[in-house]
Amino acid sequence: MNENAKRARPNVMPWAWRLLPVVLAVALLVVMPGFLPEFLQRMMSKFLIFAIFSISYNIVAAYTGLISLGQAAYFGVGGYTVGVLMAHYGINSLWVTALAGVTLGSLAAAVVGPIVLRVSGMYFLILTFAIGRLGYSLTWNLPFFNVPQGIQGIAGLPRPVTGIPGFQFTEFSFYFLVLVFFAIAMFLQYRLSRSPFGHSLEGIREGETRMEALGYNVWLHKYLSYVIAGAFAALAGVLYVYMNRFIEPADFDIMRSFYPMAMVIIGGPATLWGPAVGAAAIVFVEYFSSILVPARWPLILGSLFVLTIMFARKGLAVYAADLWSKAGAKLWKR
Amino acid sequence: MFFTNLVNGLAMGMVYFLTAAGMSIVMGVMGISNLAHGALYMVSAYVGWQVFRGFHWPFTVAVIAGGVAGGLLGLFIERVFLRRLYKQPNEQVLLTYGFVYIFTNACIWIWKGWPRLPFTAAALKPVMIGGLRFASSRFLLIALGALSAVALWYLQDRTRLGARVRAGMDDKEMAQGMGVNMEMVSMIVFFIASFVAGLSGVLGAQVMGINAEAGNTILLQALVVVIIGGVGSIQGALLGGLMIGLLDTFGKVLFPQLAMFTIYLAMVIVLVVRPQGLLGRRG
Repeated sequence: MNENAKRARPNVMPWAWRLLPVVLAVALLVVMPGFLPEFLQRMMSKFLIFAIFSISYNIVAAYTGLISLGQAAYFGVGGYTVGVLMAHYGINSLWVTALAGVTLGSLAAAVVGPIVLRVSGMYFLILTFAIGRLGYSLTWNLPFFNVPQGIQGIAGLPRPVTGIPGFQFTEFSFYFLVLVFFAIAMFLQYRLSRSPFGHSLEGIREGETRMEALGYNVWLHKYLSYVIAGAFAALAGVLYVYMNRFIEPADFDIMRSFYPMAMVIIGGPATLWGPAVGAAAIVFVEYFSSILVPARWPLILGSLFVLTIMFARKGLAVYAADLWSKAGAKLWKR
Repeated sequence: MFFTNLVNGLAMGMVYFLTAAGMSIVMGVMGISNLAHGALYMVSAYVGWQVFRGFHWPFTVAVIAGGVAGGLLGLFIERVFLRRLYKQPNEQVLLTYGFVYIFTNACIWIWKGWPRLPFTAAALKPVMIGGLRFASSRFLLIALGALSAVALWYLQDRTRLGARVRAGMDDKEMAQGMGVNMEMVSMIVFFIASFVAGLSGVLGAQVMGINAEAGNTILLQALVVVIIGGVGSIQGALLGGLMIGLLDTFGKVLFPQLAMFTIYLAMVIVLVVRPQGLLGRRG
């Protein structure tokens, strides 16, 4: 709807003006990390991983309108798959562990989907949240998921190996691995949101009964959206474990599920760049406030949630885009 | 052993009930998922601790102070923020969880992080029944819980305010059309719900003490209780609360490996069999 409104406006802006933000973003993501110190490269990786995680939430909650509080469940499944494969079976291959993580994550979503989709609205919210808690209790209590003994979680994991002789991941090269996955996720999100399937998802969000009456298989659409989102969340979990080399039960928990939710809402729900912008905002605010005022950063994060909800509900990405096109309109006024 | 667990389970169940009841009614009447409800519980518990242990005032005053603190804080959130977010669940959830972060951190700031031991009125000495030693604060909790259950049920089912609340649950617009001031009803309901959460914060501290995670812990339990009992139902919250209290207590004794797991399993089973909750009003 928004897109169409924008297209209908007589456009006097040169195409270069509209392309410039994309060029800037690409430069920021591709060129800048080379000049950053290692700990900031790591933050960039974290930011992109959470951007992928937010894309998951964007698909299921912002496009489809299924407000899930348990996306961390699939984040956790993806992460724990990698952890278990590395710690118990000594499989460190990037390709095997990533594939297994994403597959198991989507499978988990495919199994859980029919259960959670029995309910809607508030019940859906709480049930998905409980699913995340379930993963938390399981991984907390079962010794299989706690390696080495005596800690909660799987610790001391190696960097994944690629199989390319003589190649070892550094913070810098790992960042580019994440960047590639991020680009793929963005591309998939782009295709999804512009496909007939994506439009039907938005239709379901706006009026489920109407879509039902039009003959759409609403349940199947919701289910597929849930599973696809599960796959993205699992991918984020996999990459997160590669980066962190540690996974813990808390990665299943509501706190983890809140990150993508906050990121999507702050960035701009149901927009292409919203998840990434929101992820950047939260990851870097968290990082810098945890350096400057380590004891107070939850307070800052909480206030950020509240302020966004009250004053910037459309999302930062949307505001930035509006501002940019307004500035362009001023510059190229006829 | 069995009786000790039974009494503990019932007492815990009452704490869960008191917290969940308000949450359930707020969800039912206003369609608001207030995730800060658990945080109100925690703030009130700290306020109660401050009054009782800090100022050395009577326990009764501490309980009431906790309730009032919870009620006022809840009212503040409703009037200033949630009022503007009617029918926007996504935003409500994020906003109220923002308050969880803020309250939790503020409590750590004000009261420091160290956990508080359970505290109770000096008059409540342990009692011996049949050779077993019981903390009488547990009996106080059970009695007060039962009393509040009756009071809340009476308020909802037998008074004019209750009738308006139920009308609001069924059809808000229609109730407004009939001349019911839903704004006022929402305010009162939100205050009572938060007040009861505050009470249960101080009362619950008799059993569980207080720590900075208390808000999140109780939030999870309350959500499960609401789901099991059914949104908007006082009786459901009581049934669900007692069920979860007993399941949790006995579960921890019988299958310590699966501690939290038992109650989530119970919830998933209830949801699959009866999605509207055991005593839910609507499907």
